[in-house]
Amino acid sequence: MSLSGSVLTERDLVLTRIIDAPRELVFKAWTDPDKVARWWGPKGFTTVDHDMDIRPGGAYRFTMRSPEGTDHRKRGVFREIVAPERIEFTFAWAEPDGRLGHETLITVTFEAVDTKTKLTLHQRVFESVEWRDSHRTGWTSCLERFAEYIVTV
Amino acid sequence: MVQSASLDHTFAALADPTRRAILSRLAAGEATVTELARPFEISLPAISRHLKVLEKAGLISRGREAQWRPRTLRASPLKDAASWLEEYRQFWEQSLDRLEEFIGELKAKEPDDEPQR
Repeated sequence: MSLSGSVLTERDLVLTRIIDAPRELVFKAWTDPDKVARWWGPKGFTTVDHDMDIRPGGAYRFTMRSPEGTDHRKRGVFREIVAPERIEFTFAWAEPDGRLGHETLITVTFEAVDTKTKLTLHQRVFESVEWRDSHRTGWTSCLERFAEYIVTV
Repeated sequence: MVQSASLDHTFAALADPTRRAILSRLAAGEATVTELARPFEISLPAISRHLKVLEKAGLISRGREAQWRPRTLRASPLKDAASWLEEYRQFWEQSLDRLEEFIGELKAKEPDDEPQR
Protein backbone atom coordinates (compact mmCIF):
# COMPACT_ATOMS: atom_id res chain seq x y z
CA MET A 1 0.00 0.00 0.00
CA SER A 2 2.04 2.91 -1.29
CA LEU A 3 -0.20 5.62 0.14
CA SER A 4 0.31 4.67 3.79
CA GLY A 5 3.97 4.03 3.02
CA SER A 6 4.55 7.56 1.79
CA VAL A 7 2.71 9.14 4.71
CA LEU A 8 4.46 6.99 7.28
CA THR A 9 7.97 7.60 6.01
CA GLU A 10 7.46 11.18 4.92
CA ARG A 11 6.58 12.59 8.30
CA ASP A 12 8.26 15.91 7.68
CA LEU A 13 8.39 18.14 4.66
CA VAL A 14 11.96 18.93 3.57
CA LEU A 15 12.75 21.10 0.56
CA THR A 16 16.15 22.35 -0.61
CA ARG A 17 16.98 25.00 -3.16
CA ILE A 18 20.22 26.48 -4.45
CA ILE A 19 19.63 30.20 -4.89
CA ASP A 20 22.01 32.23 -7.01
CA ALA A 21 22.65 35.00 -4.49
CA PRO A 22 24.79 35.52 -1.36
CA ARG A 23 23.13 34.29 1.81
CA GLU A 24 22.98 37.76 3.42
CA LEU A 25 20.65 38.77 0.62
CA VAL A 26 18.57 35.58 0.83
CA PHE A 27 18.32 35.98 4.60
CA LYS A 28 17.17 39.56 4.15
CA ALA A 29 14.46 38.44 1.71
CA TRP A 30 13.16 36.11 4.48
CA THR A 31 13.36 38.56 7.39
CA ASP A 32 12.48 42.01 5.98
CA PRO A 33 8.65 42.15 6.21
CA ASP A 34 8.15 44.17 2.99
CA LYS A 35 10.42 41.79 1.10
CA VAL A 36 8.68 38.69 2.46
CA ALA A 37 5.37 40.17 1.32
CA ARG A 38 6.70 40.22 -2.25
CA TRP A 39 7.18 36.47 -2.65
CA TRP A 40 5.54 34.46 0.15
CA GLY A 41 2.61 32.62 -1.36
CA PRO A 42 1.74 30.51 -4.38
CA LYS A 43 1.91 31.81 -7.94
CA GLY A 44 -0.67 34.52 -8.62
CA PHE A 45 -1.30 35.31 -4.92
CA THR A 46 -0.72 38.78 -3.50
CA THR A 47 -0.07 39.89 0.07
CA VAL A 48 -2.76 42.39 1.01
CA ASP A 49 -1.89 42.88 4.68
CA HIS A 50 1.12 42.00 6.80
CA ASP A 51 2.60 42.58 10.22
CA MET A 52 5.81 40.91 11.32
CA ASP A 53 7.72 41.32 14.57
CA ILE A 54 11.03 39.72 13.66
CA ARG A 55 12.53 38.66 17.00
CA PRO A 56 12.32 35.48 19.09
CA GLY A 57 8.80 35.40 20.55
CA GLY A 58 7.58 37.99 18.03
CA ALA A 59 4.39 37.24 16.11
CA TYR A 60 3.65 37.60 12.41
CA ARG A 61 0.43 37.66 10.42
CA PHE A 62 0.06 37.78 6.67
CA THR A 63 -3.08 37.91 4.59
CA MET A 64 -2.68 36.71 1.04
CA ARG A 65 -5.31 36.97 -1.67
CA SER A 66 -5.80 34.27 -4.28
CA PRO A 67 -6.26 35.13 -7.98
CA GLU A 68 -9.99 34.39 -7.40
CA GLY A 69 -10.11 36.99 -4.61
CA THR A 70 -10.24 34.68 -1.57
CA ASP A 71 -8.20 35.76 1.45
CA HIS A 72 -6.00 33.28 3.35
CA ARG A 73 -4.47 34.20 6.70
CA LYS A 74 -1.10 32.94 7.89
CA ARG A 75 -0.16 33.22 11.56
CA GLY A 76 2.78 32.26 13.72
CA VAL A 77 5.51 33.16 16.16
CA PHE A 78 9.27 33.35 15.59
CA ARG A 79 11.20 30.97 17.83
CA GLU A 80 14.76 31.63 16.69
CA ILE A 81 16.56 34.10 14.45
CA VAL A 82 20.28 33.56 13.81
CA ALA A 83 21.47 35.94 11.08
CA PRO A 84 22.29 34.94 8.40
CA GLU A 85 22.08 31.21 9.13
CA ARG A 86 18.70 30.16 10.40
CA ILE A 87 15.17 31.14 11.31
CA GLU A 88 12.56 29.05 13.07
CA PHE A 89 8.88 29.86 13.40
CA THR A 90 5.51 28.29 14.04
CA PHE A 91 2.92 28.32 11.28
CA ALA A 92 -0.84 27.88 11.09
CA TRP A 93 -3.65 28.93 8.78
CA ALA A 94 -6.27 31.06 10.52
CA GLU A 95 -9.98 30.90 9.81
CA PRO A 96 -11.84 34.21 9.26
CA ASP A 97 -13.18 33.89 12.84
CA GLY A 98 -9.61 33.69 14.17
CA ARG A 99 -9.53 29.95 14.93
CA LEU A 100 -6.16 28.42 14.07
CA GLY A 101 -5.66 25.27 12.04
CA HIS A 102 -3.07 22.57 12.70
CA GLU A 103 0.11 24.21 13.96
CA THR A 104 3.51 23.23 12.58
CA LEU A 105 7.11 24.25 13.18
CA ILE A 106 9.28 25.47 10.31
CA THR A 107 13.06 25.78 10.27
CA VAL A 108 14.80 27.49 7.35
CA THR A 109 18.59 27.28 7.11
CA PHE A 110 20.83 29.28 4.79
CA GLU A 111 24.19 27.79 3.89
CA ALA A 112 26.79 29.63 1.81
CA VAL A 113 27.98 27.55 -1.16
CA ASP A 114 30.62 29.65 -3.01
CA THR A 115 28.67 32.73 -4.08
CA LYS A 116 25.33 30.92 -3.89
CA THR A 117 23.05 29.92 -1.03
CA LYS A 118 21.69 26.51 -0.20
CA LEU A 119 18.29 27.00 1.39
CA THR A 120 16.74 24.13 3.33
CA LEU A 121 13.16 24.32 4.53
CA HIS A 122 12.03 21.80 7.12
CA GLN A 123 8.40 21.72 8.18
CA ARG A 124 7.68 19.44 11.11
CA VAL A 125 4.20 18.17 10.85
CA PHE A 126 3.64 15.37 13.31
CA GLU A 127 5.56 16.60 16.31
CA SER A 128 3.53 19.74 16.61
CA VAL A 129 0.93 18.57 19.11
CA GLU A 130 3.47 16.96 21.41
CA TRP A 131 5.80 19.90 21.01
CA ARG A 132 3.06 22.27 22.08
CA ASP A 133 2.16 20.03 25.02
CA SER A 134 5.78 19.76 26.14
CA HIS A 135 5.99 23.52 26.01
CA ARG A 136 2.97 23.82 28.22
CA THR A 137 4.55 21.41 30.71
CA GLY A 138 7.71 23.52 30.67
CA TRP A 139 5.81 26.64 31.59
CA THR A 140 3.81 24.85 34.26
CA SER A 141 6.92 23.55 36.03
CA CYS A 142 8.48 27.00 35.71
CA LEU A 143 5.50 28.56 37.46
CA GLU A 144 5.54 25.85 40.12
CA ARG A 145 9.18 26.60 40.87
CA PHE A 146 8.40 30.28 41.02
CA ALA A 147 5.59 29.58 43.50
CA GLU A 148 7.95 27.49 45.62
CA TYR A 149 10.57 30.21 45.51
CA ILE A 150 8.21 33.04 46.38
CA VAL A 151 7.15 31.43 49.68
CA THR A 152 10.78 31.18 50.80
CA VAL A 153 11.54 34.91 50.49
CA MET B 1 -10.13 21.68 3.23
CA VAL B 2 -9.22 18.92 5.65
CA GLN B 3 -10.62 19.33 9.18
CA SER B 4 -7.89 20.56 11.50
CA ALA B 5 -9.04 18.58 14.57
CA SER B 6 -9.00 15.26 12.73
CA LEU B 7 -5.55 16.10 11.31
CA ASP B 8 -4.33 16.76 14.86
CA HIS B 9 -5.53 13.27 15.82
CA THR B 10 -3.92 11.68 12.78
CA PHE B 11 -0.58 13.40 13.32
CA ALA B 12 -0.54 12.72 17.06
CA ALA B 13 -1.25 9.05 16.34
CA LEU B 14 1.53 8.93 13.76
CA ALA B 15 4.06 10.61 16.05
CA ASP B 16 5.02 7.30 17.69
CA PRO B 17 7.38 4.73 16.05
CA THR B 18 5.52 1.70 17.50
CA ARG B 19 2.21 2.96 16.13
CA ARG B 20 3.78 3.61 12.72
CA ALA B 21 5.16 0.06 12.74
CA ILE B 22 1.69 -1.29 13.62
CA LEU B 23 0.18 0.63 10.68
CA SER B 24 2.88 -0.66 8.33
CA ARG B 25 2.10 -4.20 9.44
CA LEU B 26 -1.65 -3.62 8.88
CA ALA B 27 -0.94 -2.21 5.42
CA ALA B 28 0.04 -5.80 4.54
CA GLY B 29 -3.32 -7.14 5.76
CA GLU B 30 -5.52 -7.45 8.88
CA ALA B 31 -4.05 -8.90 12.07
CA THR B 32 -5.08 -9.80 15.62
CA VAL B 33 -3.72 -8.04 18.72
CA THR B 34 -1.45 -11.02 19.50
CA GLU B 35 -0.07 -11.00 15.95
CA LEU B 36 0.51 -7.25 16.18
CA ALA B 37 2.29 -7.54 19.53
CA ARG B 38 4.66 -10.29 18.42
CA PRO B 39 7.46 -8.19 16.80
CA PHE B 40 7.63 -5.80 19.79
CA GLU B 41 9.33 -6.16 23.15
CA ILE B 42 6.35 -4.67 24.91
CA SER B 43 3.36 -6.07 26.80
CA LEU B 44 -0.08 -6.79 25.36
CA PRO B 45 -1.65 -4.00 27.47
CA ALA B 46 0.91 -1.57 26.03
CA ILE B 47 0.01 -2.68 22.49
CA SER B 48 -3.67 -2.30 23.36
CA ARG B 49 -3.05 1.29 24.43
CA HIS B 50 -1.38 2.05 21.09
CA LEU B 51 -4.28 0.37 19.26
CA LYS B 52 -6.74 2.54 21.18
CA VAL B 53 -4.95 5.70 20.04
CA LEU B 54 -4.96 4.49 16.43
CA GLU B 55 -8.63 3.55 16.70
CA LYS B 56 -9.57 6.93 18.15
CA ALA B 57 -7.79 8.61 15.25
CA GLY B 58 -9.84 6.45 12.87
CA LEU B 59 -6.71 4.86 11.42
CA ILE B 60 -7.75 1.30 12.24
CA SER B 61 -11.01 -0.53 12.80
CA ARG B 62 -11.97 -3.79 14.55
CA GLY B 63 -13.42 -6.81 12.84
CA ARG B 64 -16.92 -7.99 13.81
CA GLU B 65 -15.91 -11.51 14.84
CA ALA B 66 -16.00 -11.21 18.62
CA GLN B 67 -13.37 -13.86 19.27
CA TRP B 68 -10.51 -12.67 17.07
CA ARG B 69 -11.36 -9.05 16.40
CA PRO B 70 -8.67 -8.57 13.78
CA ARG B 71 -7.60 -4.96 13.22
CA THR B 72 -7.80 -3.44 9.74
CA LEU B 73 -6.11 -0.34 8.38
CA ARG B 74 -8.41 2.53 7.43
CA ALA B 75 -6.80 4.61 4.71
CA SER B 76 -8.91 7.76 4.56
CA PRO B 77 -7.25 9.73 7.41
CA LEU B 78 -3.86 8.83 5.92
CA LYS B 79 -5.09 10.06 2.56
CA ASP B 80 -6.16 13.36 4.16
CA ALA B 81 -2.74 13.68 5.82
CA ALA B 82 -1.01 12.97 2.50
CA SER B 83 -3.04 15.55 0.59
CA TRP B 84 -2.45 18.08 3.37
CA LEU B 85 1.30 17.48 3.07
CA GLU B 86 1.07 17.77 -0.70
CA GLU B 87 -0.74 21.11 -0.41
CA TYR B 88 2.16 22.41 1.72
CA ARG B 89 4.73 21.08 -0.70
CA GLN B 90 3.11 23.00 -3.54
CA PHE B 91 2.68 26.09 -1.37
CA TRP B 92 6.40 26.18 -0.57
CA GLU B 93 7.64 25.12 -4.01
CA GLN B 94 5.70 27.98 -5.61
CA SER B 95 6.77 30.42 -2.89
CA LEU B 96 10.42 29.46 -3.45
CA ASP B 97 9.99 29.93 -7.22
CA ARG B 98 8.76 33.44 -6.53
CA LEU B 99 11.58 34.01 -3.99
CA GLU B 100 14.18 33.15 -6.64
CA GLU B 101 12.55 35.52 -9.11
CA PHE B 102 12.35 38.28 -6.50
CA ILE B 103 15.98 37.83 -5.46
CA GLY B 104 16.94 38.16 -9.12
CA GLU B 105 15.21 41.55 -9.11
CA LEU B 106 16.90 42.53 -5.82
CA LYS B 107 20.33 41.66 -7.19
CA ALA B 108 19.72 43.79 -10.28
CA LYS B 109 18.24 46.73 -8.36
CA GLU B 110 20.18 46.90 -5.11
CA PRO B 111 23.76 45.85 -5.71
CA ASP B 112 24.92 48.04 -2.79
CA ASP B 113 22.29 46.60 -0.44
CA GLU B 114 24.58 43.75 0.50
CA PRO B 115 26.78 44.64 3.49
CA GLN B 116 29.58 42.10 2.91
CA ARG B 117 30.32 39.89 -0.07
